[in-house]
Amino acid sequence: MKKWKLAWNAALTIFAVFAITVMVPITGCTKKEEDETRTVIRFVTWKPNQPEVWEEIFRRFEAEHPDIRVVREVGPHSTTAFHDLLTQKLKNRSPDVDVFFMDVIWPPEFASAGWALPLDERFPHSEQEKFLSGAILANSYKGRIYGVPLFVGSGMLYYRKDLLKRYGFTPPDTWQEMVEQAWKIVSEEGKQRELYGFSGQFKQYEGLVCDMMEYILSNQGSILNPKTGGSEIAKPAAVGAVRFVRDSIIGAIAPKGVLTYQEPESIALFIQGKAVFHRNWPYAWEMSNNPKRSKIVGKVGITKLPHFPGGTSHATLGGWQLGISKYSQNKKAAWTFVRFLTSKKIQKCLALKAGLAPTRKALYEDHEIIKAHPQFWDMKEVFLTAYPRPRTPLYPALSNVLQHYFHKVISDPNSDIEKEAFAASQEIDRILQLAQ
Amino acid sequence: MKRRHSSITKERIFAVWLLIPCFLVVCIFAFYPIVYSFFLSLHRIILGLPSIGQPFIGLENYRALLHDSIALRSLVNTFAFVFISTFFELLFGLIIALVINKHFMGRGLVRAAILVPWAIPTVVSSQMWRFICNDNYGLVNYILFGSDVAQYKAWLADPFFAFAAIVVADVWKTSSFAALLILAGLQTIPDELYETAKIDGANAWQRFRKIILPLIKPALLIALLFRTMDAFRVFDLVFVMTQGGPANSTNVLQFYGYKKIFAEGFMGYGSTISVLVFMTVFVLSLLYLRIIRTRLFAETVT
Repeated sequence: MKKWKLAWNAALTIFAVFAITVMVPITGCTKKEEDETRTVIRFVTWKPNQPEVWEEIFRRFEAEHPDIRVVREVGPHSTTAFHDLLTQKLKNRSPDVDVFFMDVIWPPEFASAGWALPLDERFPHSEQEKFLSGAILANSYKGRIYGVPLFVGSGMLYYRKDLLKRYGFTPPDTWQEMVEQAWKIVSEEGKQRELYGFSGQFKQYEGLVCDMMEYILSNQGSILNPKTGGSEIAKPAAVGAVRFVRDSIIGAIAPKGVLTYQEPESIALFIQGKAVFHRNWPYAWEMSNNPKRSKIVGKVGITKLPHFPGGTSHATLGGWQLGISKYSQNKKAAWTFVRFLTSKKIQKCLALKAGLAPTRKALYEDHEIIKAHPQFWDMKEVFLTAYPRPRTPLYPALSNVLQHYFHKVISDPNSDIEKEAFAASQEIDRILQLAQ
Repeated sequence: MKRRHSSITKERIFAVWLLIPCFLVVCIFAFYPIVYSFFLSLHRIILGLPSIGQPFIGLENYRALLHDSIALRSLVNTFAFVFISTFFELLFGLIIALVINKHFMGRGLVRAAILVPWAIPTVVSSQMWRFICNDNYGLVNYILFGSDVAQYKAWLADPFFAFAAIVVADVWKTSSFAALLILAGLQTIPDELYETAKIDGANAWQRFRKIILPLIKPALLIALLFRTMDAFRVFDLVFVMTQGGPANSTNVLQFYGYKKIFAEGFMGYGSTISVLVFMTVFVLSLLYLRIIRTRLFAETVT
């Protein structure tokens, strides 16, 4: 009998320990929220480039809405890593996510998977019309809208005004011109100091697709056929553009290290004065003219991306949207927060202080913004015509195939581009067939 | 007689009771996920497309895996990583263990210092190695080329050096763990054995070959087992340092499976990769256990 009792006690103790370790965190969490009289909404965001601006915005929100408290959960800077973190939470139907940032390519996936709340009632057509049409299109899937665009971006060419002027160049129209100018300037200036011709984003990640798409489209190529939806990356125009990047950019005017660069590393090279040309999103303007960080303040010019002879300039549409989780328990407060962030005054604040391009059309006529950021006025056309990446719920898989393919061929000077392009093309068609 | 019998049963029941919690934990955290992964791998499940449902497709995913060149490349890379890194870890581990087994001033301090790399979370040390290998401000370039920036190389952009960098980072981190296990083996060797050997005129190499090596074999085998299994699960180094690039030269199975499941949402296909990893590790560990059992017991008995 004694032994039975002992066994029973032992089992009880073990189960008790088990129960305590499992249960305490769960109940602990809910308790904390009950103590709070304000509604708590959780916002999954990334670490911004100008944290002080965002701090100010959050303070303003809480001052205007004393009944709502915003808890920020900061995810990684890389959009791919951020996507993985966020989708994991949404997949688990985590109630800890109310509002989240979406990259411009995610709404179809989030809508199809049933993670993002349709916002049609709160964000009707009459309101949508006040936003840039490309950004609204990116947030729509099968006739409904799933996000509110907060700021847009598109690829642009930054250049060193002072260096181009010294050698009598005007900003290049074609990629070939850019390469020639870069070689000339580097061969002269590079004698005295470290200088490269170009810096961009060529690491194996989402940004690589953005950069490469700009070359392919400006050579009259495309990723997917707009009518049939089939892959076009093995067509001569696309292959030619990729070959140009491999032979004339990587390891030529750009250091080989760009194969490991995302935005932060590539802009670091430019603002340290070590690159003549630089491809980046609009925020780079503010950063390269910030005396605290940049050695080239006032020496930066900005222009449309070059194109190949016979093609036209194409910029990839980027930008971030706010979505609300379908599993949020505070949808009303979440919408209040989204409406506040995407309001005219906050977008203006973000444009003025953080250099983020607004999504509301009216702000492109705003005198204060134009005065502080003339590039928004000059580049208005680019924002209006920026080209979206393929819109499919299987975009992440499609993008991974493209990333593998692009990185494989541009990192090896002897790669067989036709063969790899053909294989990637078949893979893309196979994936897209799943969605049909 | 009867009394005795019942007390044995009682003891058995008691043992079963004590085993149940442990059994439950293993079931919930090991068996269930493995079986479930296998179940998932027989279906087509795509998170972005709930509309297609979860159709049963038999071995279709496995057939696709056979034709997947990236998966094959990842498998080869994983094996290369496991064998190369484990070899160097055991080699350096042995050297370190031999050194810190000697009596010298400040031995305690050295022993503690040796463990520092192992105590740093892998994500942190990977980030550190990524900085060290950076083409512009990395330490490697500075040490090799000084201020001659024209010579600076982008190590992680080169397929060979990127792979080497990951191996070096892993060896740097876990050699001390191997050293710890081997040191434990070394300390079981009584000093008398060395003294007798010395008196008999054995030189240092002979002492190492004839005394140390045979006696630390069990510890070496255990270290080998641990390190192989652990190296097979390599993920964080690749995730932080290269994301599998350039051109998949550092892609490993775990990272590829993670990409499929978490980035692309292909639960079915990703699970197929997990099952492949499980099978490989399972076969490897059976093999090791056999070796250890036969070798180990043969040694200890004789």
